[in-house]
This record gives sequence, C-alpha cells and structure tokens, in this order.
Amino acid sequence: MPLLETIGVKVRFGGNIALDDVSISVEAGSVTGLIGPNGAGKTTLFNTITGLQPLSGGQIIFNDKDVTKEPPHKRTRMGLARTFQRLELFTTLSVRDNVRVAGEIRNRWSLRTPKMDINAETDRIISLVGLGDVADREVGEIPTGKARVVELARALMIQPTLVLLDEPASGQTEEETEQFGQLLRDLAGEGLGICLVEHDMALVMQVCQTIHVLDFGRMIASGSAESIRNNPTVIDAYLGAPESVG
Amino acid sequence: MQTFLQYTILGLALGGAYFIAASGLVVTYTTSGIFNFAQGAIAMLAVFTYWQFRWGWGWPAPLALLMVLGILAPLLGAVLYQVVMKNLRGTSEVTKIIVSIGVMLGLQALATWVWNPTSSTPRQFQKFFGPKAFAHVGSLTIPWHIIISFGIAIAIAFGIRFLFVRTRSGVAMRAVVDDPELLQLNGGRPERLAMISWAGGSFLAALAGILIQPMIGSAMSAGALTLLVIDAFAAAMFGRLRSLPRTFMGALIIGLTTTYVVAYFPSKWTWSSAFHNSLPMIFLFIVLLVLPQDRLRGATVLRLRERFRMPSIRTAWIAGLTMMIVVFCLKVIMAKTGVNTLTLALTFAIIALSLVLLTGFAGEINLAALSFGAIAVMVVYHFGISGTGDGARTTLWGILLAAVVTALVGALIALPALRLRGLYLALATMAFGVFVSRMVLTERNERELFGWKFTIFTAGQLTIPRPKIGPIDFNSQDAFLFLCAGLFVVIGIGMVYLRHSGYGRRLTAMKDSPAASATLGMSVVRLKLSIFMMSAAIAGIGGVMMAAQVGTVNADRFDIFLSLALMMITVVGGIGYVSGALFAGIFLIAFIEALNLLLKKFAVDYSTLEAIFMFFISAVTVLPATIGITMGKNPSGAVSDIVDGMNLVKQSKPLMITVIGLEAVIWALTATEVITNWNFVVLTLANLILVPMVGGKLLMARAMRGVPKPVPPELIGIDRPFTDEDLAAMDHALNLESVVIPSSTTVREEPANASA
Ligand SMILES: Nc1ncnc2c1ncn2[C@@H]1O[C@H](COP(=O)(O)OP(=O)(O)O)[C@@H](O)[C@H]1O
Ligand SMILES: [Mg+2]
Repeated sequence: MPLLETIGVKVRFGGNIALDDVSISVEAGSVTGLIGPNGAGKTTLFNTITGLQPLSGGQIIFNDKDVTKEPPHKRTRMGLARTFQRLELFTTLSVRDNVRVAGEIRNRWSLRTPKMDINAETDRIISLVGLGDVADREVGEIPTGKARVVELARALMIQPTLVLLDEPASGQTEEETEQFGQLLRDLAGEGLGICLVEHDMALVMQVCQTIHVLDFGRMIASGSAESIRNNPTVIDAYLGAPESVG
Repeated sequence: MQTFLQYTILGLALGGAYFIAASGLVVTYTTSGIFNFAQGAIAMLAVFTYWQFRWGWGWPAPLALLMVLGILAPLLGAVLYQVVMKNLRGTSEVTKIIVSIGVMLGLQALATWVWNPTSSTPRQFQKFFGPKAFAHVGSLTIPWHIIISFGIAIAIAFGIRFLFVRTRSGVAMRAVVDDPELLQLNGGRPERLAMISWAGGSFLAALAGILIQPMIGSAMSAGALTLLVIDAFAAAMFGRLRSLPRTFMGALIIGLTTTYVVAYFPSKWTWSSAFHNSLPMIFLFIVLLVLPQDRLRGATVLRLRERFRMPSIRTAWIAGLTMMIVVFCLKVIMAKTGVNTLTLALTFAIIALSLVLLTGFAGEINLAALSFGAIAVMVVYHFGISGTGDGARTTLWGILLAAVVTALVGALIALPALRLRGLYLALATMAFGVFVSRMVLTERNERELFGWKFTIFTAGQLTIPRPKIGPIDFNSQDAFLFLCAGLFVVIGIGMVYLRHSGYGRRLTAMKDSPAASATLGMSVVRLKLSIFMMSAAIAGIGGVMMAAQVGTVNADRFDIFLSLALMMITVVGGIGYVSGALFAGIFLIAFIEALNLLLKKFAVDYSTLEAIFMFFISAVTVLPATIGITMGKNPSGAVSDIVDGMNLVKQSKPLMITVIGLEAVIWALTATEVITNWNFVVLTLANLILVPMVGGKLLMARAMRGVPKPVPPELIGIDRPFTDEDLAAMDHALNLESVVIPSSTTVREEPANASA
C-alpha cells in the first residue's frame, strides 16, 4: 500500500489546464522523483497534495485516507510535510528559531499530541542537516542553497512520515548537493517517504528509486530510474520544443 | 404602492451610485493589488471641487463636469499611482493599507483646509437640472437626477464588462494581478495598465460622489462623504473584489435596504436614524461573515522590504528604565499644560501598543483601536467607578472588567475575519468603528431591557475619574503621569517577553508565511483570536487612561479618523517595535500640538508674516497623512531609521559630541527660560533625530565615495538593473558561456525607486 496516492488529479486555472489526470504514488522508506520541464505542474501538484490548491477533479489518498477535502493543517497533522520552491521561511526569525518554531507549532497540534523536547530536537535536526555553522544567523542573510536546507530542517521537525521537496538542491554548490543526496538516502533508510522535485538530473538519478515525469500537466512516463533515463518520450520533452524558454 | 415604487426607484438609483464607486475599487484592486481606502475621499474631493466650479464660481454644468470628471479626477488617480502606489510593490499588505489610508486622511485634511466647513453657510449641492426637474412616468414623479444615476450605473456596468472581456488591454488588466512578471515577459506593460486603471477608478469615484451627494441631500461634509466608501466596500466585498455582476447586486441590495428603512421604519423608533446610518457597516459585516474561506497564499515576493529586528529582553529593560527617568526629568522642567499633554500622549502610546502587538507581531490589522477604547470607557463608566463628585475614582476592578469586555467584543469582531486575509479583518474593524460612532455613541435615550433601565452614552459625554488602585491614589496629575508611563513600560516589556516566547514565535511564523505555517500543521483560528483579544484589551485599557486624563469625553474622542491616524503614525514610527507606539503617541499628540503652539506664537510675534504662519498651521493638519503616504519608500518605519542614526552616533565621535553639545545648549536655554518648554521638546526631537540622520548620511557618503552599494543577489534586477557582470556571472553559473545572447531590446522596465 503506497503512503501517498493521487488519483486522476486535475487542476484548472481559468482556461489553463495545469494538471490533467495525474496519478502518482509514493512509497514509505524510498525516494520518489517527480521531474518535468518548468511549468509542467510539479509545484501545483505539491500544492494540491498539501491542500493549498483545490482540485478541479480527482482524489488524494494519504495513509489510506481520502484527504481531498481536508484543510492543509489537518493533512500535516497526519504526517505530511513539505518545502517550498519559492522559499517560505519565517524571515524575521533566525535559522535556529525557524526550526524551533516548527516544533513549537507541532507541540500545539492538539492536547493529545505527545510533546517533544524542542531544544534537544532542534539541536539534533540542525546538526543532522548540517546547518550548525549558520544556526544563529538571520534567515534572510544566508545563501539560497542553505535556506533550502532550512526549509527541509523545518519540515523534519514535525516528525513527518512523508516530505515533499520542491527543488531543494537549486542554489546549492556541488559539494552541498553531494551531502544533500546522502542525507536523503539516510532519511529514506530510516523509513521516511520522500517525494523529490528536482532539476539536477544527476541527483535525481542517484537517489530516486521511482520517477514520475510530467509535461504540460500530463504524466508522460513513470517507472524506475533506469527506464526513465532511456525513455524516448522523456528525452524529447526535455530536449525538444526549442522555442519554449523558461 | 405609490410610496413603495417611489422608494424602490430611489433605492435603485442609490444602489447604482454605490456600484459605480465599488466598481472603481474592484478595477484598481484587480490591476494593482491595492485596496483603495481613499476611494471615498476622492469622491469627496470631487464633490467639493464640482461645487466650487458649479456654484462657487457659477460655471455651467457641462464645463464643470468635464473639468472634474474628464480631467481632474483621472489626473489625480494617475498621479496617485505614479507617485505613491507604484512604490508599493514588494511591501506587505499592512503597508499597502496604511499608505492608502494616508491618502484618504490627506485628501480629507486638504478638503477641510480649502473648504473650511465652519467659516461659511452650509454648502448645498443640487440635483442635475435643478431640484424641480421631474419626469412623469405613469402616476410617478421621478427626479431626472435619479433616472440619470441609474442609467449611468447600468452603462458603466456594461462598459467595464466589455472592457474586461472583449478588449485586449482589458484582458491584460485581469492578468496583471495574477502574474505581473508573466505579463511583462509577454510584452505587456503592467505598470501602465495599473496607472490607467487608477485613473479610471478615480473617475468612477468622482462620478459616484457627484451622483450620491444630492441624493443624500444633507449639507456637504468631508467626513461623511469620505466614509461613503464603506458602502462601496460592502458592495465590492459582495463580489469578493472580483465579480462585477455580484458587486452590482450587492450595491442594489444596500441601496434598496437603506431607502426602505427610511420609508418604513416607524418614526417613533428613536434609533432608526442611527440604524439607517449604520446599515452599510452591518451589511459589510454580514458579507464578511458569509464570504468563503480564502485560498492560502504564500508570500508573493521573495522578500518583503520591511525588516524588523527583534530587540533583546535586556534592551527592553534598559529602554524601559530610561523612559521612566526621562519622563521624570521632563516632569521637572515642564509646565502643567506640558505635563497634561505628555500624559495624554502616553495614553495614546498605550493604545498604539495594542496595534504593535496585533500588526507588528501577528500581521493582523485593527483600524478602530479607539472604538475598543470607547467600549472600555462605557464599561468603566457604568460599572467601574466608586465614590461621587471629587471623591469619585475608577477602580482596579472596573479597569479589569473593561479589559475583559473589550477582549470579548474583540473576539466577536474578529470572528468573521479569522478565516480571511488581513485586509478583510481590517475592513471588519473599520465597519465596527463607524458602527460604534454612529449607533452606540449616539445612544443617549434611556432604554429598558428585561426591566433594567440604562442609558449607554449619557448626555453625549461620559466623565471618567482618575483611578485609585489599592492604597495608591492616582488623582494628582503627576501621579497619573507616572501611572501611564509605568503602564506603558510594563506592557511594552511584557510584549518583548511575549515575542521571545514560543507563542510569540508562532505569531511571527503566522505573519511571515501563512502557507508555511499551515503546512506545519498550525491552525490559525485560536492564535488569531487570542492575539486579537489581547490587543483589544490593551486598547481598552489605553482608552480608559485616555478618558481619565481628559476627564470628560464625548464621541469625537473615539472618532474613526483618529483611530486611522493613530494606526498610520504607528506604522510610520515602526509597527514592529514597542518604541513605534511611543513615537505614535508623542507625535500625534505632543509634537503636533507643540508645533501648532509654536507656529501660533510666531504668528503673533511676527504679525507681518502672520499669513505665512497661518498657512503652516493648516499645513500641519496635513502633515501626518503626508508622512503616512511616504511609507512606500521606507516601509520599516521611522524608528528603524532613528535607531540606525543612533548607532552611527555611537560609532562616530564628532557626531556624538555635536548631539550632546547641542542638547546641553538646548537644556541650558530652557533652564534659564530663554526658550519655552515646547521649544525644548521640538528642538530636542530635532536634535536627536535629524542630526544623527543627516550626519549619518554625510558620514556614509564620505566613507562610501566611489564604492558602489552592494545589492543582495535576489534584488538585482529589482533594485538596480542587471549589469553585464551580473549576466556573465549568471551565465557562468548556468554553464551558458558558449551561448551568445543578442543585445535585448525588451529590457525590463525599471521601478521608479531604483537604488532607494
Ligand atoms: N496561481 C496560478 N494561477 C494561474 N496559473 C498558475 C498558477 N500557478 C501555476 N500556474 C500555471 O500552472 C502551470 C504549472 O506551474 P507550476 O506547477 O509552477 O510548474 P512547475 O512547478 O512544474 O514549474 C504553469 O503554466 C503556471 O503558469
Ligand atoms: Mg515549480
């Protein structure tokens, strides 16, 4: 049973169809890739999964439950976390407080939520993702690559079972990306489900077991990393259409 | 039947005029993302200008109309956009709201200045073709003006619809707000479109004003006309600021209900006139209650231009102690009137603290802080006073009860807007504020409820004595001054503690990114409700202190425009800081009054220049609004600048010596009574604020000579254009070195505030 399933998801913006009949699945304890050219609808799909974007059709199943109608915070409380491509950090807070406040929000989910030791957990996560050197800086002052890691740290702080990562490696140096890939594999190894949107193909091919490919809002391929690498439709979508830029 | 038809037609025409104003709101909001609080003020200005041309100078109607509607109104809109609103891209919703409120207050002050309402007989405004031009339709007699109004409304409705749906620029207009950058890439020019729409919106406001004024029939009043905007708000909300047909429907419903209330409510109901006046507020409130939930949006810009540092707890304690000492020193040298003014300023500063808590910490907006003060004052008046005559004192329990009641009222007001964006809460509070002024503070008749007789606002004024808390009597002016100062410091320090707590961080999270907060599992309802209640309670306490300082307060003390001005000045001071609240109180009460007294004294001393000084005295009334309008250029507030200046003083010896030396001279002059206390205040403020700012700029200029200002990478292209070096660096990063890009002809348009 997959951890997350989208069934025939459809999203329309006015006359524009951003997602058309998209069905993907993400398993626990593995990294699933979601790739496609800019404007393919990857971020929109994440928005529908997390409840920020209402659907025009289809269903979202998470943890065997139909969550299509649930508000975002309810879905999160079931164990779903994400990062944002256009950073959504708490800009008035330091790096450490960005991570810490996620724990503080989590401890307040409901009276029954088992409380975590926030200070200890904050320290653990910060050293886990390697943010120790910038922990006390203003979050607006650190480079974008690091800021994306803060987003991940914040998501991990709520102890999710599934995280959706929207282009987490863009802005990172080669060395940072290397470490980041290792981190993702470690996290998946501990049982976390990860869905990764990323343009860095080397990273995607290195960490993903399964890959879904979107183009113009449609699923054009889906399968193991190996099969996607050699799929002619995918190669076309990435290298073809020379007129469309961005 | 006859009456019904007559009133229905009247209601339709009124509704039509509301629609015209509301459609202007929708158009400007759609294209620029700015909700124009000044819409009513523009209508008001147009009405006064038209009156001046038509009856003041006796121009023929077509010429006056052409001048006002064809030239002046669109010009005003375009200029407003170009000079003020365009700078607001990348600022928070709070700044956008405040700037348009600044415009509103500015236009209002301007109109009051030019058309002094007290100096001449009430100005009358006539219907088109005069008061006796009637059309006879069947058995009905209808003024031509009414027919024209409704006709124009329908024409405008179809006109705008055609513009938006059929024409290329109309479609482009709708795209601007969705994605300005995308439109720009496709060769559209969002800036120009936004400017045109502002010109159009201003035209529609002016038209609505000229149609409505003769229908409401009373003498022209700047305040009443400006508040007409709320009727338009309500209609626009009906269409969720998007749908014009629904806006049209909403406007008609408002128009009809208000006329039916006039027609059919028994005249012996003493409250029906107040009810009629508050109907739009009630309507707006109901609409907000039933609006469906907003989509959560992420931050639409990568980085807001507002920057607020978080003060440490140690800084808060030092600042608090310093403030108590300064207040003590001031008390020693100041005359009695000075102490009075300072105390009043501090009570306003306490009210402003409620705004800092709500807006600065949580990003929510309350535009009617003083109305919460009014509620608290009424509670204290009825339940919180012990003793009579000179022995009367406000009790501690009375103050606490007042705080609890205001908090509960606050919860009630915030309830409809909790699911909605900040703008809607702002509107709900504004509706509440006007409602309180029109419906509650006019309640002078005795009412009976379940056998209990009471009068809410006895004789139009309430007397609130000074408090006595435990054994300490704060009746003397000095004691009360220290009470207010102490209260400010305690609440202020408490707020800094709050900000450093988990609760405070959750508030910050909610403010900085609602989308991220939701995806971390935060449910905002309880958080928003609790912070709004807390803020309302502080406003209530501040209101009681204000009333106790004044002694006897009437409805004017809680005027919505005063609330708006306080909010605006707090934002100017720095809405993220406790000191911003202090700035607001001092500026709005003490500084303005000191400036006024000074100018009046000059006018008397130098009688040959009297006219000039009288001009400046009038100009002072426009001053706060003018400062508010400039927020777009400096969204973090003045305190932030002052602090930067102070930091420079700390670093630069010459600057520090200058400031200290000047201050010593000023003090000496005051002590030897060469200059008065007021001059002392003005000069001290000037010395502490202007010298560091100017000196700092000079120092910076000298240090930075020849060194270009670094621009954070994500602002390149926004704060300054891309240079070849930037492009080369980007190409390098993207491995595009081999690609040669032909020199582009579609260089991005530069925002006017480049390298601000
Ligand atoms: N709020 C919105 N309104 C209208 N169109 C949108 C909106 N968000 C995204 N789109 C459109 O949906 C499509 C998919 O965008 P997105 O999901 O951001 O793509 P990706 O993340 O794959 O680059 C694009 O064509 C984009 O223009
Ligand atoms: Mg994307």
